[in-house]
Formats: sequence, C-alpha cells, structure tokens
Amino acid sequence: MPDGMTEIPVRFTLNGAEAEAAVAPRMPLIDLLRGEFGLTGTKRSCDAQVCGACAVLLDGQPVSSCTLPAFEARGKAVLTVEGLAADERSAPLTEAFVNNAAFQCGFCTPGMLLAAKALLDADPAPSEETIKDALSGNVCRCTGYKKIVEAVEEAAEAMR
Amino acid sequence: MTEREFRTVGKAVRRVDADDKLSGRAQFTGDMSVPGMAFAKLVPSPLPHARIVRVDAARARAMPGVYAVLTADELVNMETRYGSDKKDRPVVAMDKVRFQGEPVAAVAAVDLATAEAAAELVEVEYEELPVVSGIDAALDWRGEPVHESNLCHEYGYEWGDVDAAFRNCDRVFEDTFTFPMVYHYAMEPHVCIASYEPGRIRLWTSAQHPFLVQAEIARLFRLQLDQVQVVVPFVGGGYGSKSYTKIEPLVAALSREAGRPARLALSVEEAMRTVRRHAAKATIRTGVMNDGTIIARDCVGYVDTGGYTDNGVRVTERLADRMPGPYAIPHVRVKSYGLFTNSTPAGSYRSIGGPQAVWACESQMDVIAHALGLDPFEFRVKNLVPQGEEVRRGKRPIEGDLEAALRSVADAFGWEASRERAASERTSGPADGGVKRGVGFACAVTNSGASPTSTSLARLHADGSATVFIGSAEMGQGSRSAMAQIAAEEMRIPYEKVRVVASDTAAVPWDRSTGSSRSTTLMGLAVQGAGADIREQLLRLAAEHFEAFPDEIDAEDGQASFKGETVAFSALVREMFGGSGGELIGRGYVTPKHPSGKLRQDPVFWEVSIGAAEVEVDTATGEVRLLRYYSVSDPGKAINPKQVEGQDEGAAMQAIGHTLLEEMLYEDGQLLNPNLVDYRVPLFTDLPGEFETVLLETGNGPGPYGAKGVGEGGIVCVAPAVANAVFDATGARVSSLPLTPERVWRALREQQDA
Amino acid sequence: MLLAQESGAAALYAGGTELLLAMKSGLLAYDALINVKSIAGLDAVAADDRGVVIGASATHSAVERDALARERLPLLAEVEHSVANARVRNVGTLAGNLCFAEPHSDPATLLLIYEAELDAQGPSASRRIPVGELQTNSYETSLAPDEMVTAVRVPPFPAGMSGAYSKFGRHHRPTLGVAAAVAVEDGRVADVRIAIGCVSPVARRLPRSEDVLRGERVDGLAADAPALREACRLAAEDADAVADLHGEADYKAHLARVFLERTLLRALGRNGSGGDA
Repeated sequence: MPDGMTEIPVRFTLNGAEAEAAVAPRMPLIDLLRGEFGLTGTKRSCDAQVCGACAVLLDGQPVSSCTLPAFEARGKAVLTVEGLAADERSAPLTEAFVNNAAFQCGFCTPGMLLAAKALLDADPAPSEETIKDALSGNVCRCTGYKKIVEAVEEAAEAMR
Repeated sequence: MTEREFRTVGKAVRRVDADDKLSGRAQFTGDMSVPGMAFAKLVPSPLPHARIVRVDAARARAMPGVYAVLTADELVNMETRYGSDKKDRPVVAMDKVRFQGEPVAAVAAVDLATAEAAAELVEVEYEELPVVSGIDAALDWRGEPVHESNLCHEYGYEWGDVDAAFRNCDRVFEDTFTFPMVYHYAMEPHVCIASYEPGRIRLWTSAQHPFLVQAEIARLFRLQLDQVQVVVPFVGGGYGSKSYTKIEPLVAALSREAGRPARLALSVEEAMRTVRRHAAKATIRTGVMNDGTIIARDCVGYVDTGGYTDNGVRVTERLADRMPGPYAIPHVRVKSYGLFTNSTPAGSYRSIGGPQAVWACESQMDVIAHALGLDPFEFRVKNLVPQGEEVRRGKRPIEGDLEAALRSVADAFGWEASRERAASERTSGPADGGVKRGVGFACAVTNSGASPTSTSLARLHADGSATVFIGSAEMGQGSRSAMAQIAAEEMRIPYEKVRVVASDTAAVPWDRSTGSSRSTTLMGLAVQGAGADIREQLLRLAAEHFEAFPDEIDAEDGQASFKGETVAFSALVREMFGGSGGELIGRGYVTPKHPSGKLRQDPVFWEVSIGAAEVEVDTATGEVRLLRYYSVSDPGKAINPKQVEGQDEGAAMQAIGHTLLEEMLYEDGQLLNPNLVDYRVPLFTDLPGEFETVLLETGNGPGPYGAKGVGEGGIVCVAPAVANAVFDATGARVSSLPLTPERVWRALREQQDA
Repeated sequence: MLLAQESGAAALYAGGTELLLAMKSGLLAYDALINVKSIAGLDAVAADDRGVVIGASATHSAVERDALARERLPLLAEVEHSVANARVRNVGTLAGNLCFAEPHSDPATLLLIYEAELDAQGPSASRRIPVGELQTNSYETSLAPDEMVTAVRVPPFPAGMSGAYSKFGRHHRPTLGVAAAVAVEDGRVADVRIAIGCVSPVARRLPRSEDVLRGERVDGLAADAPALREACRLAAEDADAVADLHGEADYKAHLARVFLERTLLRALGRNGSGGDA
C-alpha cells in the first residue's frame, strides 16, 4: 500500500457500533477518534508509547493510538473510554477508581481504565505483581500508583 | 452546648469531577475548539545562546493556508516582555536567544500540518555565542553573559554571631550537595487557545493562576482587567509547571496577528523546553558540640534558573529559607544566589527550593550524626525547634509539635527495629559485595501558603441547591470537591446539592493562585466565609418566618427548624423574593487582616515533611531498590482524608523520580533526553513494597476547621531519606542526585579506595 | 516488487512502534510505507524441521502467548513478555524489532544464543541470514534496499542445554542484556553460548568467554571460580562497551562482568530442570 495522498477507507466497530471513515495513511488512530468522532477522552501526552494516556483497546488488547495508524483499525473493534463508561459491566471498575482515589487530574485515567479492563478480562484475579506489570506501560504523575493498584484489586473482587 | 458533628467535612466524599473524569467527558483545554481557530506551531531556536541576525518569514507567510507568522517585528503596540518577578521574558525572542528551544517565531495556519510545514520555512540567521552551562560556569564566566550578568537574584539573612560561634564549636562539618534539573511531566503539556478581538482578549488555557495570567495579559496588551477573560478548564497536572504565565502571551499575540483565534498545544519535548525545576548546589557548614547540639550553621546555595528568571527570584529565596532545617540553631547565616544559564527557564515545581535545600541539609545531618556516633533520628530530635518557637527569626512560630510528628513516623516505620535488623543482616552477610540493606530518615518544615489573599462567592438557589464560585484551578488536587464540602458544611445543605464553578476570571471572583499548598487553607477560608454568610442570612429569614430570634433557629440538611416546626431553605428564599425565584448571595474575603487573626504572620503555615526509607543496595551494580517508604502529612483537619493521602503519595512518588531516576541531561546547551523514553519517570514497577502516609490531624492550621495545606510536604524528604539509607547500608555517601546505579557504584568504589 | 519500485523512498512497516516514532521525531522520512502486515500468512508462528518459524508480522505478544513458542522456546517467550510495554508488544513485531536494528534490543541479543536465522526475500531470490549477520551498526543491517525479512527461524536449544537472560537499566530501553545457555555432560560444560547486547551498537556473541568455560567442571563453577572469573573478565573486554545516555563505557564493561556471572549461574541452575528456561 503506497503512501500517497490517497485516503484509505476504514470500516470498524467503534464502542460497539459500526463506524466508517477515510483516513490518510499516516493519520494516527488518536486523530481519527478525537477529530472525526469527537471522542476526546483519549489523550495525547508523551507521543512515544511510554505513558499510555492514548491507550485504546483494539480487539480487546491495549494499543497506543498516538502511534498506531488509523488504518490498523480496519475490521477490528475499537474501545475507548467513552465506550467503557457506557458499558455497565465496567461500572465496578470505574467505581473502584472513585472509592480508592485512583485518579486526580484525570489525564491518564482513560488509558488507565482501559489497560485495567484488558488486564481484568484476561486475568480476573490478578496478583499485585501482575497488576503492576500489566499497568507498567501507563504513567500516572499524580497518584503515586498505590491507590490505582488498590482500585484494580477492588474491581477484580467486585467483578468476580 | 455540644459540638456540632460534621456532615461532609472529614469524609471521603465522591469527588465532584468523578463522573466527568471516568467517562472521558472531562474537558481539558486541548479538548476545546473555538470556531475559526488557527493551529499554531513554534519556530524554536536550535542554538542555546546566539544573537539573532535576521529572521525571514516571507516564504512561510506566502505558503497557502498560513494566516500569520509572529516574530519580534510584530511585537508593536504592546509591551514586549513578561515575568512574575522580573519582566525579562520576551513574547518571542528579541535580539538574542538564551536557550535551545526558545521560540523565535510562531506560525498560525489553517491546520497543524500546514503550520508545521510553514514553521520549517522560517529562516533565522544566528551568530553563535559561548554557552553558559551550569552553575559553576555561570559563576566563573568571562564571555558574554546570558543577560547583563549571569546573576539573577541574591538573598540572605543572618542571626547570632556566626563567626564567633564556629570558633567555639567542638566540630565543624562542611559538605556540598548538588540537585539536578528535573521536569514536571504534567501529562497534559501546556496548551492555550487565545482569541484577540479589538478591546477584548479571551483565553482558554492550562494555567494554575488564572488571575495572574489575566493581569499579565492585560498589562502586555494595554487592556483593563475586565477586557481580559481567562478560562481554565480541567488541568492535566500542574505541580508548578503551569504557574504564572507561560505560553499565553505568545498565543494571544499570534491571535492578534492572525486576526482569528489561535491554538497552541505543546509536545512533551516543547514542554521540557518551557519550564523545569531549578538545579541547585548547596554548601552547608555546621558547627556542633560533641553531645550533638548544633551551635552554628552557614549555608551558601545556588540555583540554576536557566535562560530567564521565571520563578528564579522566589526559588532563590525559598532555597535560603529552607536550607537551615527545622532546628533551633542560635547562630545562622544563609546566602543564596539565582544564576542564569543557557537552558530551559526554571520555574515553580512542587515545594519551590524545598527538595534542593532539604537534600543538602538532611544529608549533612546524617554525615554529622555518623561522625559523632549518634542515632541520626535522636540527633534530629535533640535539635528540633520546640512548638511555639520561631524556626526563622521574625517569622510565624512552629504551630505543631515536631518531635511528636517525628516519633509518629518513626513508630509507624519501626525505626529502631528496622535499623537494628539492617545492621545485623549486614554483619552476618558476606563481607564483600552482595546486597545490603539500610534505613534512612529526613525531616523538614517548609514555609507555604504564598499570599493570604482569596475571595469567593456562593449562591443559594431558590430550590435549595447552591453554586460556589472559586478561582482555584482544578489540576487533580480535588479543590472543587473540598470547596463543595466546605460550602455544604457551612450552608447546612447536602454535599450533593453544591455545584462549583471555578477558574473563569469573567465569572468567579479573584484569587491569587493555585499552588504552594494554599487552596484548602485560603480559598477554603473564603468559601467558608461565603457559606457562613448565606447561613446567617438564612437564619435571619427563618427568624422572620418563625417570628423568633436567629439564635433560636437550628439549621441543618437544607432546612431551618424552630420548636419542632421546619421550613426548607428553598421556601425561605422564595418567601424573601415573594415569588417562585430569587437567591441568596454570600461572599467570602480572605486578606492578611482576616478576622480569625491567623493570617497576619508570614508564612501562612509551616508544612511538615518527614520521611523514613528502607533500601536494598546491590553493591555489585550500584542499583538502589526502595523497599519501604513512610511519609507524614499534617492537613490540620483533613477535609477529605483519601485525597490528602493521594496528595502525599503522589508527591513522594515524584520525589522517587528525582531521587532514583530523573535528570535532564544537557551537553553544551543541548538537551540530550527531551522525551519520555530517555527521561524516565516512575512507573508502577517503582512502587515500594510498603508506601505509607501517616496522617496527623493536629488541628492547628489557619484554614477552615483547623485545616492547613498539604501536597508539597511529601516531595521534600525522599531524596535525603533514601541517600541516608544508602549510606547506612554501604557506608558510601552520594552527594549528587539522582542516585543512579552508576553514581552509587562509583561512590562505592571511591569508598573502597579510601 | 514494490520495494524495488520505490527505491529508497519507501520503508517496510511491520507494526511501526519504532519506525513511526522515528518518523514523528523527524529522524527518518519516507515517502511511502509498505505494510508487511497486509501480506497474508506472515503473522503465523509454526513449526519446521529445525524449530519454530515466526512470521515477519507476528507481534511480540503473539510470540509471548503462542503455545508452540512457549513449549519449544520458553526463554524467548519469557523475554518477549519483558519487551517495552503491553501496547508496544501488541503492535510491534519480532522481525521488525530486529530489522530496525535499534541497539538496545532484548530479542537481538537473545536470538544470538538460539542461533536463529532470518528468511530474506529479494525481488528475484531469497536467502537465509544468521541473526548475528543481520545488524551491522546502529540502525543499519546487511539487508539490500529491495530485500525484506519474511520470517525468523528459531531452533530450540539442543537437548540438555538451558539458558537464561538478564537485562539491566533504569531507562525504558535496557542498558545491558546478557544471554547465556549451557549444556552439561558428565558434570562438565559440554557446550556454552554467550551473547551480550545494548552496551554497544551491535549485540554479539562472546566466543573467548565461551572457550574458557567449555570443558570446565560444573560443580567448580561457583562465583569465584577462576574460569568463570576469566570468562567474565573477557566479556568485559570483548563487549566493546561505548558511552551513551545509559552510562560510561567502564561502568558498562563492569556490568558485563557482573551480569555474565549472574546469567551463567542462573542458566546452570536451570540445567537439568528439563526446559530451556
């Protein structure tokens, strides 16, 4: 697929609904989500796949939308924080973040919630070490992390 | 009369921003869009120090889609320079550049890609100047200085007869410590939308001090305060990086040039070239008696404020204020200097000058304790300033019992037992190499609160709900929730019925700033005043309603009662206005003359900081693993205990960053690690196995219900506590941060050679 | 064919976790990207007569989770789990990691002791490249401009050999990686493979250290055994460590010594446990 001015048609599932767009080959997924679909919950921060503020789930797996080209969403399911928040099954997770003061400024929170969801989907009873390992690609500069670990532990228990 | 029980104060209530922040709906500046807005891109200087010979923006201006290019030539009919204490920062570089990345021009275009392409077309010719790199170079400089000289500010104070006292001491210690440049990494880099219209400027920006931005913009563009509106939506982390005025003047000037709103969103790399924490070097000379009594202390400190002053004046002063430590010392002399160098300007960062000063002071306390054969904890306790006495002459006396605070942390940590356990493990372990354990301690008090000036308004609506207006920026600390709690408590209505409108200069009354751990104390007092004003009005209305006296009325849970009869607040409001609408307006003023009498002295309060650390040092590699860290937080009265803990843990974790990991590396004025891959901040995997905050509620703060500020204390003691623990483990003293494996390994080798 | 047509103006895209970062920062510029991931079948992890064939578009996560890889190459699967973070592993590919030739790569070091090979496909011919001959310098490989890697072939360790991998550093990319595998027969080191990476532009085997250890009695290989010390001393020399943001050269050479010892002892400790991890 040569990279010219031609746009690539992309059909995918966005937060459970069919979505369609034409994207420039180098448009990162975050620009498609924030720009075309107005889903501004996904945040751009480090722009280098370190911080996880831009994390979304692609077929259930976390990816960095700041770097992943939008065309990679073709035929796949994208879940953003807006989709997570609308899904009642994730309510124990978001409530655990409230109960444990696991967010402050809220800029990392969308990516953090999605990374935590991917973890809990794969491992409903993660150990503390597993939580730290799974979330080690998500930076939070406010909380000091402890309260997020506690929130994920509480959510795991509530969702079991 | 029995004490009334708090309904929401002191409870871990649901944050008012929870639903917004957990759903992605929370609006940050970068999520906003203004019709017709242009996208901006900076033209940064590639050189750290150079004269600008020529700027040619003709090709950029000719590019289709470009609305405007702002260069120094366009800075007409306005003031050109800004800054909180010294107006030395030009809106874009004029005549010369003073750090790599300094904006020389900025482009506004139809979209970001066009702006980026056009920025590449701006031609700048420079004449290179020798680069002033670091404190030592700035002090001993023969070339062209960064400004008129390399000295930005100097400050000092003295009491007693220092020179004579040193002659009478048993022992004198002199040690020098250095602290690196570090970057806040607020996850939301600076972002601003400005809309310049004739006679009016509106700004939406990630700023901590909206009213100081308003005043600065009004001055720069020669407007009245009422002509400048600054709106601060949710802020994605501040920690000082968004203090005072940063990119707002440039974006406003660019909007004026483009004739339309302009939006500039910085990248992390650009943010690292916008503001950082001051690097520092401090030499402390301490005279003691053999029994461990400190007699005299002479401190000389330097901070590197980079290419412009930014907050260099205050940081220079705070470094000096915080260097001698929380000790009763009869003879003290302190001098501090702020120096210009060719690097990112240094501004506020969580406890300005604090971590640098305390790193030096508390490292040396252990050096002395070790040399005298004293327990470092008991050595500190012996010299602490007693409650009610001055820690700095002429300043507010220490309001708390420091010894009790220290002992509470030592007890929680198990200081004695941990120290003995680590020592016995060391002697029983292999003699050479291997992993060694040690424990360390540090304590400090820091002068906090900034200026005691805030205002607030509260409106009690006709249905019994209320809106509170505050100037504080919500950057994660939970100020909106704390203010809703205080307002609800004072107005005697449920917390859920209070809405907070914040940080819009056209809507909310004036506040000085959001920083220096001041909001809960000072804005809290203003909100308490506004809420109490409403309550008093309600009591008067209820008295009329019941034909009783106001002091016979009980008010609670949204209603007033008298002799078994009740009336809802909403009914009282409607009654007053004789119809279906109306509302009560309450106001709160906080000035140094506040009727409580608690705000007359400087500082507003002393923030207590204590840290105890246990580490493991891999002596073969120099790697330090932080196993346990205990901190203290004294909020006076915790309005929301969970949030207080969160402030302390977050501050301590940032400090773990500058203690073990973080350092902006410069070579000849070029920043070598301008990204999060090479500038490593703490991750989940850096969380110590035990990471605890000891919450003290001493009730002695000047704020509402005895509250005082927190948020900065947690950051200042980590580095010395950890370095002291490394010393305890290995006998090697590291005097520079961060404690990278390589640095610790070299210190271990030097110690073996010695 | 496309790669030949675009002649230097195009780059292969196989996840883009490295490439797109470099392009965003302006370090690299290409007119075109050719999406390896869109080539059918290249994402497979399959068995061949010598071992496991990992397709060029198989991600780190795929390798980490693949049942065949976990069974036959457990050490590789374990190390793949430690590459960067979950998001990078979900998108970045093993082959892409090798071809990008960033000096601080875990798999590039580890695959040296697996003696892995790469299938490279040119416009008219294909060839096999030993993994040690792929990278020539920082960000440089021996691949021709019109050649692409289609698979990574990884043979399991021979029966009786077990391995270990250590990495060290405080940055996101490792400062040092050491891989070692040892086969023991009759109480002696029958075979040993050692590789070091990240401390210099190109990961390398350490043949002099290997030679010193071959034939040594295993029960004598404590931390202070002369042969082990000599092997570690040679490693520090042969690592050719260079100074960079991660540290000075003398410190890295010292780390090479420390971690070769630790890694070898771990590999020996795993010996006889059946697997290669």
